[in-house]
Amino acid sequence: MNFRKLAESQGLEEDEFLELVELFVETCASDLDRLQSAIARGDTQLAVQAAHSIKGASGNLGLHEIYEMAKSVEEKAREKSLEGATEAVKAMREKNDQLSESLRKLG
Amino acid sequence: MEEKQNLTILIVDDNPVSVKLLEAMLRKEGYQVITASDGPQAREVAFEEQPDLIILDVMMPGEDGFEVITHLKKNARTASIPVIFLTGRYELDAKLAGFDLGAVDYITKPFQAPEVLARVQLHLKLSRATNSLIASQASRLKQLEEAQTSMLTAPEELPRAHFSVYYSALLEAGGDFYDVFRISDDMFGYFVVDVSGHNIATSYITAAVKALLKQNCTPIYKPVESMRMINDVLAEILPEGIYLTACYAKLNRKKKLLSIVNAGHPPAVYLPKEGEARLTEVDGDILGIFNEVYYGQQDIKVTTGDRFFLYSDGLIERPALKKVWFECLPDLLEACSHLKDVPIQEAAEQLTRLMIGQNCKPEDDIVVLGVEV
Repeated sequence: MNFRKLAESQGLEEDEFLELVELFVETCASDLDRLQSAIARGDTQLAVQAAHSIKGASGNLGLHEIYEMAKSVEEKAREKSLEGATEAVKAMREKNDQLSESLRKLG
Repeated sequence: MEEKQNLTILIVDDNPVSVKLLEAMLRKEGYQVITASDGPQAREVAFEEQPDLIILDVMMPGEDGFEVITHLKKNARTASIPVIFLTGRYELDAKLAGFDLGAVDYITKPFQAPEVLARVQLHLKLSRATNSLIASQASRLKQLEEAQTSMLTAPEELPRAHFSVYYSALLEAGGDFYDVFRISDDMFGYFVVDVSGHNIATSYITAAVKALLKQNCTPIYKPVESMRMINDVLAEILPEGIYLTACYAKLNRKKKLLSIVNAGHPPAVYLPKEGEARLTEVDGDILGIFNEVYYGQQDIKVTTGDRFFLYSDGLIERPALKKVWFECLPDLLEACSHLKDVPIQEAAEQLTRLMIGQNCKPEDDIVVLGVEV
C-alpha cells in the first residue's frame, strides 16, 4: 500500500493521510459491526446505511478494494438483497485488518 | 490569502473520515472549518456561527441533508448561506432534488481535493459578488437626488401582460403603487407595494423600487431570491421606521406557472377558470427593515383563463366600519367570484366598485391589479 501516493492525490502530507487511515480503520470496524448485525437481522435499510458509510470513506481515501465491496453490498441491499453480504463483510474485515497492520508497521 | 482569513466553512457528514478529510483539505487553503456530524447539530452550528458556506452530506441517518437544507432556507439567519451537497456519483435524483431545495452545487463522492477546492472557491466568490452587488445597488440608489415622478405602467404599454389596474391615490396619503414588467418573452412580473409612513416622497421610493425590480427580477433569480435582494437594498437606503409591504407575482405563461411571494402584504386572490376563488397562502417579512428576512413562495399550476388579483389594503380595510383587513377577506373572495365573466380589462375597476361601493369615497390609497393567464 503506497500511502504517500494516495496522500498526494488528495493534496495531503503523508502523516495527515495516515491519521485519516487510522480513523478509517476504526470507523470501518464499527461500520462492519453494524453491517454484520444488520445482515443477521435481515435489516436491509441499516445495511444500506452501514455499507454507504464504508463506501464513502474508503472511496475518498483511494482504498479501492474495500470501496468496490461496500458499493456492491449497498447496491444489493437497496434492492432488498443481502446475497453475498456475509462474505463481503468477511473480506472487508480482512482488508481492514491488513490496513491496520500496515499502519502498525509504519509505527 | 488575506481575503480567506475570515472565511468559515461548515462541513456536515456523519462519517468522521469524510469530515476529517474535507477539513484537512480546506484548512490547507486557509479556510476556517467547523464541523457537525448530524442534521440537528448542523442547523444549530449554522445558526450560531453563520458560516460563509456549508458542505452538506445528503445521506445521513436521522435527519438527512434535504431536511437540513429545508430548515436552513426557512430561517432568515441561514437562508442566504450557499450550500453544496455531497452525493453519490450516480444519485441523479438527489442532485436535482438538492438544486430544487436551494443548493448551489454538489460534489460527488468519492471526491478529489482539486474539485472540492474549485467548487468551494467558486461559490464563495459568487456569494461575495451577490453581496457586493447589493451594496453597490444600494449606493447607486442613495445618489438618486431628484425624486422622480410616478412611473406607472399602463395596461396598453404591455398588452402581453394581460392585466387591468385600478389606481387611486389620496393626496398626501400617498403610499401605494404597483409595477408590471416583462422578465422574458413568456414571463411577466406583477408587483403591488404599500409604503408605510408619509414623510418621504413616495415617488422616490417608487423610482427606487422600480429600478430594483428591473435589476433583480430576472430569469436567473427565483421570486424569493429577488424579494430578498430587494429587501437587502431597501434595508440600506430607507430612513429608519419606513418599510414596505408588497406582493410579487411572477407568471410564466409558457410553463403555466404562477409564483407568488408575499412580504407582509394582504394575500393575493387566485381565481381559477373552473372553481372557487381562493387566497394564496404564503408568509414573508416586511421589506426594508431587517437585514435577515424570510420569504415563502407559493407555486400554482395555472391554466388559460385563470385570473389572479393583487391589491393594497385600501381595497379591503374599512376604518369607518372598524373592520381590519383580514375580517374583510371573505367579502373579497365573494366579490372576486362575481368577476368570472367580466372581461379582464374591466375586472380591476369592477372589483373596486364591488368592494368600496359605487359612491363611497375611498378612505385610503387603493391599488388593484387583475391579471389573466
